[in-house]
Amino acid sequence: MRKFSSPRVGVLLLAAGLLLYPMLFTGPFYRDIGVTFLLAAISASAWNIVGGYAGQVSVGHSMFFGLGAYTPLLVYTLWGWPPIAGIPLGIVLSLALAVLIGLPTFRLTGHYFSMATIAVAELIRIFFGTWDLVGAAIGLQGPAVARSFWDLTFRGELPYYYIFLAVLGILLLVTATLERRRFGFYMRAIKASERAAKSLGVPVRGTKIKALALSAAFTSAAGSLYVIKTGFIDPDSGFGILISVQMVIVAALGGAGTLFGPLVGALILIPLQSATNSWFGGGGSGLTYILYGGIIVVIARFEPGGLFEMWQRVAPKLRKRFWSRAHAA
Amino acid sequence: MVFVQVIVGGLLLGAIYALFSSGLTLIWGMMNFINFAHGEFVMLGMYVALLVVTWVGGGPAIFSIAAALALFVLGVGIYVSLIRHVIRAPMLAQILSTFGLALLLRYSAFWVFSANFVSLPQTSLGGTIKLGGIFLPVAQLVAGAVAITLTLGLHFTLTYTTVGSKLLAVAEDRAAAMLMGIRPDRMQALAWGLSAGAAGIAGALMATAYPWSPSVGETFGLIAFVVVALGGFGSVLGSLYAGLIIGLIQAASAFWLGAIYKDIVVYGLFVALLWLRPQGLMGKA
Amino acid sequence: MLLEARNVSKAFGTFLAVAGADLCVEEGEMIGLIGPNGAGKSTFFNCLAGETMPTAGRIVFDGVDVTRALPEARARAGIGRTFQVPTAFEDMTVLGNVMVGAFLRHPHRSDARDHARRIVELTGLRADQAARSLGTPGRKRLEIARVLATQPRLLLLDESLAGLTPSELRDAIALVRRIHEMGITIVIVEHIMEVIMSLTKRVLVFNQGHVIASGTPEQVVREEAVIEAYLGRGHRRRQEEADGRA
Repeated sequence: MRKFSSPRVGVLLLAAGLLLYPMLFTGPFYRDIGVTFLLAAISASAWNIVGGYAGQVSVGHSMFFGLGAYTPLLVYTLWGWPPIAGIPLGIVLSLALAVLIGLPTFRLTGHYFSMATIAVAELIRIFFGTWDLVGAAIGLQGPAVARSFWDLTFRGELPYYYIFLAVLGILLLVTATLERRRFGFYMRAIKASERAAKSLGVPVRGTKIKALALSAAFTSAAGSLYVIKTGFIDPDSGFGILISVQMVIVAALGGAGTLFGPLVGALILIPLQSATNSWFGGGGSGLTYILYGGIIVVIARFEPGGLFEMWQRVAPKLRKRFWSRAHAA
Repeated sequence: MVFVQVIVGGLLLGAIYALFSSGLTLIWGMMNFINFAHGEFVMLGMYVALLVVTWVGGGPAIFSIAAALALFVLGVGIYVSLIRHVIRAPMLAQILSTFGLALLLRYSAFWVFSANFVSLPQTSLGGTIKLGGIFLPVAQLVAGAVAITLTLGLHFTLTYTTVGSKLLAVAEDRAAAMLMGIRPDRMQALAWGLSAGAAGIAGALMATAYPWSPSVGETFGLIAFVVVALGGFGSVLGSLYAGLIIGLIQAASAFWLGAIYKDIVVYGLFVALLWLRPQGLMGKA
Repeated sequence: MLLEARNVSKAFGTFLAVAGADLCVEEGEMIGLIGPNGAGKSTFFNCLAGETMPTAGRIVFDGVDVTRALPEARARAGIGRTFQVPTAFEDMTVLGNVMVGAFLRHPHRSDARDHARRIVELTGLRADQAARSLGTPGRKRLEIARVLATQPRLLLLDESLAGLTPSELRDAIALVRRIHEMGITIVIVEHIMEVIMSLTKRVLVFNQGHVIASGTPEQVVREEAVIEAYLGRGHRRRQEEADGRA
């Protein structure tokens, strides 16, 4: 009895559910939601490494997402390469940017880092909007028709769904591995108390920079996946503040600093977003962001640990009530 | 002559930057807290001015004071209902609280007022005057002068009055201030009121001279970060100098490089500052 | 000589919190730092731990100048410290907290966990208890366990025994003794005279930034300057008046 309730079973069920979802829901609408969900889960899980585990709250992660989204179409536009060839370039640029931001700000308190991230993201967004090489305000376009398999331009959503799912799986596996190792312990120690971590010999600045670099690399990959699917990028859809907002809210809603928190957050938020969009039509996006803002404020004020922590607190009580009632009956 | 015109225009806008940034720096100095919604406070001040002019009427003095009061009340309300509860919470909660607030206010404004640019109807400050060979809109001149006066006023209030020294005492050492019979909670609520009020009146002043839309909040919030980073975190006088400098740099880069580059230059300056002098120009090393 | 602090001063603006303090610690010693509130002992302690940089003077640990070394580097060199206000990593278990310290010398998880388990056992804590559910005595113990896991040669204890009930205090004193018997040199800042008297053989007394006395606990409590610093002039006058009447 006890064996079946172990978390491992939950993970297997989740994995099976995600693998089977597009088989059970075959309509394009549901598959599109599935792909959007996976992308949100990947981005938020990547943010979660530095923002959740290490507690360094980036509010400008779109800078990495945007770099990852631009480079595939840039190598295609400039040299006619298949877009996936631009993925490593995006990752390298994102790593460089992570170090550039992390080195000065991680000497100071966490607020500086947050301010720097939002300012740099905005700086890059405006700059890309004026830079002709990257199409300025118009942006870049990918191959309309696949020239070969390596363009990864598919007609349906299905191939994208499984590619994204594989990347999400890799990311969660990496996070789960690191979580149990020294690096993971160091990140959580820094989040809880930098002063105490330092006194125990934790290399605080180095750990933060590593966390940011890893997070940036995966966020960049998420941007690349996004653009390979859509085949189009402009400054707002790459670097816009709402890209960053979505990563933060998805992770924080589910539970920042937990392995599956971002997944849970995406599971709730993406269907909700798609519902508000279809209820309110074109004008719905504005309402969606009002809702986002409201959710973020409520999380900050009442449940900084997200739904995950709330569940851990509430579940034992519910279980007790359930069992006592079952007993009575 | 054009050169002088650019410089004066930049300084006048910079004076308003200084005024709203002094509100941000006050909060940082008092409680080591960054308000991501500060630019939205400025934006709301602009719309309060517009609403007062349309529904109630009255001149710039009336709607500026109305904006200051409305935002003061909002600031205190936000402190009491939200900030007070997250100030001891983890960093994530602190940053998310005002970040979420910024989104809430920004997109509510888009929803209520639409994304279109608006401007105040012609006020008594219309027209331009010729001063030593350059033409200046009266509204800009008055707004800039009032902004400098108010920023200096805030500085002197903090430095020379009882309320000011109580505020600074809380900033210096909360526990010691409590022993002296000061209630930190009240002082912090007052600081939030003053901070938002400064942003509100700065917004109203700006509305007399420039058109705007709900998206200006994001821009002004970032500009306030740059001003505070340059002037030193927690220094009102520092943000006065820094505000003027940023206004000047913006005007100069818009003039020589083109309007779209003015924000790139300013944000680039912010990144450079983080690398070179994170404590700000006026800050202690 | 394990630790040698020479002429250490720390100024905050014009206020001199520590004025030319000296401290030499031999391997295996246990030394107490005492003094009234605001005497500078905590500031001096923080200079030793690397939390604040002294404005003048030199600190040498095991032959290496560590005056400007950061707290992380000092921990690596073998200087461990506790905090006056315990700073547990709230979201982790007791074992997790101690493992953070253990990772310093044992990079691999299983080694670190084994080492941490031994320390947890030694300090009488429960490995799987959540840190946030600990009370004051448990937190103080965890603080000591965590730093012990970094295998320090010198342990700086900052009021680690304050705020405990008499029976908790007895247990804590026994723990400090046990740690000392393991061969770890200890410098302990403490308010409570009885603790210092029972634990240490040598104490330094701070007042207004200066070291005003040093010697065995029995010696220093008899010194005029110490009595005056601790109990104030008023006490001495009252004492004299009482003596005069008698």
